[in-house]
Amino acid sequence: MAYSDFTPAQRAHTKRILWLLLAYAIILPPLVWIRANTAVAGYVPTLMAIAASIPVLGIFASWGRYLSDERDEYHQTLTLKRIAIATNVTMGAAVVWGFLQAFGAMPLIETYWVPFVWVVIQGMFACVSGFSNRGRDAA
Amino acid sequence: MPRSAAWARYNWRVVWLSLLYAAFLIAAVYGFKHELVPAALKYPVAVLPALPIIGIFFAIGRYLVEEQDEYIRMLMVRQTLWATGFTLSCATIWGFLESFDLVGHADGYYVVIAWFFGLGVGAMVNRLTLGDGGC
Repeated sequence: MAYSDFTPAQRAHTKRILWLLLAYAIILPPLVWIRANTAVAGYVPTLMAIAASIPVLGIFASWGRYLSDERDEYHQTLTLKRIAIATNVTMGAAVVWGFLQAFGAMPLIETYWVPFVWVVIQGMFACVSGFSNRGRDAA
Repeated sequence: MPRSAAWARYNWRVVWLSLLYAAFLIAAVYGFKHELVPAALKYPVAVLPALPIIGIFFAIGRYLVEEQDEYIRMLMVRQTLWATGFTLSCATIWGFLESFDLVGHADGYYVVIAWFFGLGVGAMVNRLTLGDGGC
């Protein structure tokens, strides 16, 4: 689907996501550099960690806002379906990995991989549905 | 609020899966603690307690498909959305706190615990915004 075919809610959501990703790309490198090269202590590292999280939290909030704003029920249902699949796969992966960790079979990993998996599954779902729609249109 | 047939089936599924979870978990912990699990079976045995939990996610999905009352279904969908947003936010914050060496590692299954807690958060939000907690 081209950008011109987007619903107003999808356009607003896309703009919000792009701004948040830009903010993330701007905020994260200096924080990582400061942490690696300077001796920050006290509450400053906590504030730095929360600052790095905020744009990602904004992305989740943007999904919620999109679902509220979207007036096209078909697109709303597709998004809900995509979120349900991504959540099930992510939770399944987290619980399997969690027990493998607990029994010492796998190493510990940072929890921000959980939202990473969720976003990747969403992207994969979008690609699969995009390709299947293209195949259907071509037929 | 009267419960639907889909809700009753969902409850039965969750009860059976929870019993299965307890049985698998006790067996796996006992096996690992007493070194009864052969090396080749360590991965399957470690994954065993995860399977009923995954089954509960499918039970929630099945419930959403089977529920005929659109209002009740909408409440449950809102709850799961809040649970997902809450869990992903917690995981993101904890992940960055870990990266900056401020907190220790957390086992992955805490994500799932956060998600089930998030269902409660969703019910509270439903109660506050719609006057009905839902499931």
